[in-house]
Amino acid sequence: MDQRALILGFSMLAFGSAMAADPASIDWGKIPATKLTLFYPGQSSYEWLRSEGHKGASSETARGDSCVSCHDDAKEEQRQGAKILRGNHPLEPTTIAGKKNGHVDLSVQAAFDAKNAYLRYQWKTQNPFPGNEHQYLRFDGKEWKVYGFPKLDKVVQEGKQPGIYEDRMSIIIDDGKVPGFAKQGCWLTCHDGQRDMPKQFTKEEVAANALLTAIKKNDVRKYLPDTRTNPSDWKTGKSVEDIAKLKEAGAFVELIQWRAHRSHAVGMADDGYVLEWRLADAGKDMFSGNADSKTHQPKFMWDEKKVGYKSITADQLRKGDHFLIREQNAVPFDPNAGWKEGDMIPDYVTSREDAKGSAADNNAIANWKDGMWTVVVVRPLGLANSDDKALKAGGVYNVGFAVHDDNITTRGHFVSYVKTLGLGAKADIQAVKLP
Amino acid sequence: MSHPAKHRPLIALVALFGLCLSVPAFAQFDAEAAENTFKDNDCHKCHHATKAKKGPALKKIAAKYKEKKLDEKEAIKHMTAGQKVKLDDGKEEDHKIIDTKDVKVQTNVARWMLSH
Ligand code: HEC
Ligand code: HEC
Repeated sequence: MDQRALILGFSMLAFGSAMAADPASIDWGKIPATKLTLFYPGQSSYEWLRSEGHKGASSETARGDSCVSCHDDAKEEQRQGAKILRGNHPLEPTTIAGKKNGHVDLSVQAAFDAKNAYLRYQWKTQNPFPGNEHQYLRFDGKEWKVYGFPKLDKVVQEGKQPGIYEDRMSIIIDDGKVPGFAKQGCWLTCHDGQRDMPKQFTKEEVAANALLTAIKKNDVRKYLPDTRTNPSDWKTGKSVEDIAKLKEAGAFVELIQWRAHRSHAVGMADDGYVLEWRLADAGKDMFSGNADSKTHQPKFMWDEKKVGYKSITADQLRKGDHFLIREQNAVPFDPNAGWKEGDMIPDYVTSREDAKGSAADNNAIANWKDGMWTVVVVRPLGLANSDDKALKAGGVYNVGFAVHDDNITTRGHFVSYVKTLGLGAKADIQAVKLP
Repeated sequence: MSHPAKHRPLIALVALFGLCLSVPAFAQFDAEAAENTFKDNDCHKCHHATKAKKGPALKKIAAKYKEKKLDEKEAIKHMTAGQKVKLDDGKEEDHKIIDTKDVKVQTNVARWMLSH
């Protein structure tokens, strides 16, 4: 199913250099695989973990104890995920239709050479198809409206919209400069007030917030404790100048997300970081919104000459690679092309050519076969951008992983406790030096 | 646990017989059921078999009970009464209460704990 994207991926990546390996020809059979279990965390925010709700563990968590000092059973993640999703658990207020599994088994392999680090991930999807579609724009006879939403959204809960959202494979990387990350990992970034979390922000609160207005954001996303004067209250943001100092000191975490629709279509993974918000690196991402902000019409449609159609309809969902790639199969939208009710065009357009700067550092190849994603993310070593964590031979990093499966975002992912990744150095996951 | 559940009580029995003839009665238990109850109640998050966590290790509890000639009734009190427990830092906290009132289940957990 993903053959085409795979071939595109290969041909577009610049693996010509003698110093860099072609990730497709690395002999992964020779590289040890670390088996991790990722679990469904529900609303286990930084604040919940330090509250009475986390019975018998609030003061230990607040003083900085590591999660696995208590959560160390061989089957701990399986148990925790199943418990949170069993129904009536305070950490999951919603019954998510079709969500059966409380955990995902993830296999991680790592390698590096003089140029790049290569991270290979494998996991089984719950659905018998890859989650490589994302939201669409659908013509309702008059207007183009967004079609398909993540499963935690009310419109999907109420059955008014189908659940459509891309699968993702993410890694957060700390090089030791974020206090507490080595012990509590990604949970430092997850807070009440964020989307789909307890006490979710209101538009008014965001509009009245000095930090969020200064950085031009209109919702609350992942942040690190040190960016707030009270880490448990997203509203207490420090000044932009103080946050710039934290960034300069490296007190942020790297966040690389492989996206099965919006980055996979062009053989890439996105490049971001978490500090006062979940930010994209400088430059330009490989994806952009396809809706015109004024007319709400699509900006691009498929090139009928190349793919045989301008748009699809709902009955064609999950029956092909429905990627709209600016430089390959897209043409400017024609409002007079005889659109009929039910015609659909992707809500995002992807482009490797348009991706620029620090946001365009990461490549990836991936395929989905027999129910399993195999993804190789290629990360250049030694990046010098101010929004990147530079990986180096001999380096050891604290890392956390997340899998988004089955049309969901926000808290609906599976996450890992913190692990270490060593490039030719002792760690939970040891990247092997390639010849 | 690596032993199949069926064999655990037997092994425990043999161990008890061989090592400490002073134990008053042969306490039988279903190890697998006990471990499941123990973990479903989050007890394992504070009590490891051998390692000190927030609560004492099961080995240490078992040794103390043996030394002080305490029995499963005492252990059951600890898991049902919500007594104050003293922590390392001098603070006090209510102990976890097991989610079953079934004395048979409680006894099974207590015996399994004390078999360590
Ligand atoms: C001092 C031991 C301790 C530490 C440290 C600790 N926990 Fe817990 N955790 C517990 C206990 C005990 C429970 C069960 C509470 C209850 O419901 O009675 C629990 C419950 C949870 C739950 C709910 C699901 C479940 O297993 O019951 C989550 C999620 C969780 N902890 C995550 C974390 C994370 C993430 C960290 C680190 C940031 C952490 N915990 C640190 C002891 C601990
Ligand atoms: C939040 C951590 C925590 C959890 C969860 C927990 N315990 Fe404990 N437990 C302790 C501490 C701390 C002590 C030590 C009390 C003391 O020494 O005063 C203790 C003591 C005990 C004792 C008595 C040991 C003695 O020396 O007499 C028993 C029995 C016991 N726990 C059983 C359980 C059972 C069964 C569960 C699950 C239902 C459980 N515990 C859950 C922290 C915990």
